[in-house]
Amino acid sequence: MSVDPPSLLLRARDGDASAFEALVRMHQSSVFSIGYRMLSRRDAAEDLAQDVFLQLYRRLDSIESLEHLGFWLRRVAANLAIDWLRRATHVATQPLEAGAEVAAQQPDEDPLLNRELRRMLGELAPAARAVMVLRYQEDCDVAEIATSLDMPVNTVKSHIKRSLTALRGKAIGARLITAEEMP
Amino acid sequence: MSDVENELRRALRPVDPPAGFAERVMRALPPQRPPATVTPLDIVRTAPRVTAWRRLMTPAALAASLVVAVMLGQQVAFEREQRAGLAASRELMQALRVTSQKLDDAYRAVQSTPPRTQEDEENRS
Repeated sequence: MSVDPPSLLLRARDGDASAFEALVRMHQSSVFSIGYRMLSRRDAAEDLAQDVFLQLYRRLDSIESLEHLGFWLRRVAANLAIDWLRRATHVATQPLEAGAEVAAQQPDEDPLLNRELRRMLGELAPAARAVMVLRYQEDCDVAEIATSLDMPVNTVKSHIKRSLTALRGKAIGARLITAEEMP
Repeated sequence: MSDVENELRRALRPVDPPAGFAERVMRALPPQRPPATVTPLDIVRTAPRVTAWRRLMTPAALAASLVVAVMLGQQVAFEREQRAGLAASRELMQALRVTSQKLDDAYRAVQSTPPRTQEDEENRS
């Protein structure tokens, strides 16, 4: 099977199931992680990611390029997660499932700080949480986040600034970082 | 860039979905991808117009028929009145002619009678 990504999109559009599966494998980590960081539950994140890919399957003809595909998946995943949180508000306060992280740790990272940051992120409002996930997990710029979430650029900037301030304050309060570490 | 931002990037590294996720997605797909349904723009634009025209055509035809029927009825009634008027006029003219004829006859009869003399009066008495 060819692994040329642009041809994958064309073949998937033509009904090639193996090409579509390759696209799923290319983007599954990103889509699942958006759901996981937003919903804080692996089972809900998997359901959400599956829903996103089913929607993609139905809308393949509207995808113009691989860049568009990535943007489209992030946008749909983030908005589905926000809707899901608004429908089931109790989930927003649930902590991340213990021991669920499977990513390899870097030697210089602080596992306790990372876990607490993820927990604090889960306490943010859905829209602010989506902004932070797209910014710091997906590395999206402010303009793309604004387009993905249908909000003004200044609102995105405001969410980032306020969320960072809140996270810093909580991290200092929990003595995870010291005030000297702040810029 | 602040340390918190760096720590966030580390904390939010993408995670892999559970094993077998892609296979489960593929099993959940419908058997055949639905074809894209693209409706030509000209059809979209003209279809409502045809429908509206057809919707108006029947009442318009009924109204036109009603107007024509009323006008025909009025015309027939007018012609009937006109014919009756002409007949009455002819009868009147005929009556006037007859009357005039009778008057003429009477006048001539009066004129042709000789005047009575003294002797006639005495003979009668």
